[in-house]
Amino acid sequence: MRPHVIFRYTGFVMLLNGIFMFISVIVSALYSDNSFFPLLYSGIVSTLIGIFPLIFVPPVTDINNREGFFIVVTSWLITCMVGVMPYVLWGGPFTFINAWFESVSGFTTTGSSILSDIEALPMGLLFWRSTTHWIGGIGIIIFVLSVLPYMGRAGMILYRTEISSLATENFHYRTKKTINILFYVYVTLTLLEIILLLFCGMNLFDAITHSFATIATGGFSPKNVSISYYNSPSIEIVIIVFMILSGVHFGLLFGVISGKISQIWKSSIVRYYIFALIAGTIITVMSVRMHNYDTWLESLRYSAFQIISLGTSTGFATADTSIWPSLTQLIMIFFTLQCACAGSTSGGIKVDRVVIFWKSFQKRLIQFRHPRAIVVPKIDKMAIKEDELEMGILYICVYMGVVFISSILLTSLGLDSLSAFSASAATMGNVGPGFGMVGSMSNFGSIPDIGKLILTGTMLLGRLEIFGLIIFFTVRSWK
Amino acid sequence: MGIRTKIFSGFLILATMLAVAGVWSIYELSNLGASVQKLLDDNYKSISAAKTMIEALEREDSAVLLLILGNWDEGRSIMNSADELFEEGYKIAKKNLTIQDEKSYVDNIRAKYDAYKSLWVKPIVGTNREGDLDWYSDKVHKSFLEVKVSVQDLMNINDRVMYQTASNLKDRSNRAIMPGIVAIVSSLVFSLLFSYFINFYVAGPIIRLTKGIGEFLETQKDFDAKIETKDEILDLANSIRKLMEQTKVNESD
Repeated sequence: MRPHVIFRYTGFVMLLNGIFMFISVIVSALYSDNSFFPLLYSGIVSTLIGIFPLIFVPPVTDINNREGFFIVVTSWLITCMVGVMPYVLWGGPFTFINAWFESVSGFTTTGSSILSDIEALPMGLLFWRSTTHWIGGIGIIIFVLSVLPYMGRAGMILYRTEISSLATENFHYRTKKTINILFYVYVTLTLLEIILLLFCGMNLFDAITHSFATIATGGFSPKNVSISYYNSPSIEIVIIVFMILSGVHFGLLFGVISGKISQIWKSSIVRYYIFALIAGTIITVMSVRMHNYDTWLESLRYSAFQIISLGTSTGFATADTSIWPSLTQLIMIFFTLQCACAGSTSGGIKVDRVVIFWKSFQKRLIQFRHPRAIVVPKIDKMAIKEDELEMGILYICVYMGVVFISSILLTSLGLDSLSAFSASAATMGNVGPGFGMVGSMSNFGSIPDIGKLILTGTMLLGRLEIFGLIIFFTVRSWK
Repeated sequence: MGIRTKIFSGFLILATMLAVAGVWSIYELSNLGASVQKLLDDNYKSISAAKTMIEALEREDSAVLLLILGNWDEGRSIMNSADELFEEGYKIAKKNLTIQDEKSYVDNIRAKYDAYKSLWVKPIVGTNREGDLDWYSDKVHKSFLEVKVSVQDLMNINDRVMYQTASNLKDRSNRAIMPGIVAIVSSLVFSLLFSYFINFYVAGPIIRLTKGIGEFLETQKDFDAKIETKDEILDLANSIRKLMEQTKVNESD
């Protein structure tokens, strides 16, 4: 392990953060708000500390897998720490713990917030808050690699560590091209959504911040009541469409952009993803129509938005789901756990693993009936290897275990069981809102500081797909 | 990039971080001082003026009672001095309009006070109002209470704003302290990083060069110190290598 190599690459990441902080400074200056100095100083510190390793350490391209892995994990941790600076320097409700929570929630694209009055924040800081989603959405490393393509082989190793192991199987391109695809799809979707939201009547600032949050499947809104502030069906439809798209594997989206539209429907993962969202919406519509809304149209409008928002791990809200029937809440908890496809910006267990789990279940079922049968589970005519099956199931078990442990810890801090479980599941899946005291119209501000630290831990575990962070903190792996 | 530039850039970065944090802290602290002064100027002055007006009103109320009891000289003397005191307080309050809607509060005081004054400005002693306690309780005292309430309203609004401003001062003081804290933490992190780089890219190669020279002198082993950077140390290593090769050639000659 060569620490100076890790310093050099994390330096790039800090520099990237610094650039976005300076962009936020411009926003702050345009609105003449009081976040100018906090953002400026954070930008200066981040840029200076980031640039220093680039001065000292000569370019390195021969990084090994272990170094690549550590660069990714340290980049996430350092980025979250750097993201704390503007909040802490601005003050207000941001104690160090609160700022850490907001920063981790932003970069991991969770979207949970400690703020009770978001609109009281200056525009520059709100812009930075949304930017953390956008940077985190694509994964800091991939982003840096797209901007700095000269890294060559080093880029490939960082990419493999950063992106979900399931997603790499679905790309049919060379890694460098894949990184470019991710970047172009990400930027194209963001720009498209900004234009459409402007067309629907949203102002430029809100359109940009909401697009950042949608494409990153984050959920930070500059409004206290999230998307319900606009009470606009057209805005909701645009956001629904982009939430669904952001939950699809970006390689498939690139295929659509390149004219291969049929490719997306050939993917059984995407078919299941869409089918699950439709089925969840239908059940929710029927449930809330009986209890909460007077018309079918109204029920469809709110149900579709909430289910898709949670099912893509975005976390925007147009209704207070805490007052919805228990059946609906259970369905939403399922989507909070499952989330969207691998290779997208969403978190959670991911649709791909749920499909693998189902295939494994089918295999066992057949083998119960025909013990001598050799069953090879397949997804899209491609055989799933035994270790992939095992890893998928193991991941789901460990994932649920972490959610369970986190829930127990939160309950011991005085939270009710629904709030504790949903907060754990929502942060682990990088979804955002839960139920009870952390519902779609509430916030995480009332959770004790230790609870906030536990939840930031689950956010990072979810974002780094559990094993990444566990290995990082296992000291032996440093040797 | 040369070692000199690298080391200089390190110190420059450290100095910039500390300087910017220092300037910002000074800016925030001077703002904090200005806010405290503004707090005193804006709100405390109005509160003090309101207290003066209330004091004057209390005296006027006593003077009215003295006049009703037929005590002309003492009653008028107290009344005149209290009226002057009230106008003095009112003048300060009128000049110090710093809160939104404060003007309406001040105008309300004027209107109520004028109505109150119209009751006792006319002679009382020697008229049918002398000894008329019912007139006092029905009209004068009621009007007195109305003026007093309007003055208290002015005091309350200033009290409220003063409390809010004082609460904001806590946030401002936090903003003045935080750059310092962030600068200290980031400077510490940066110092560790700087020290690591100096050790790895300057001290380490020098130790390797010394060791290589030592080995050459003892065992004539080829000089193979690996230098990663393209700076003065690499130049030094190349020079040493040439010198050793030259020494070997000289020795073989």
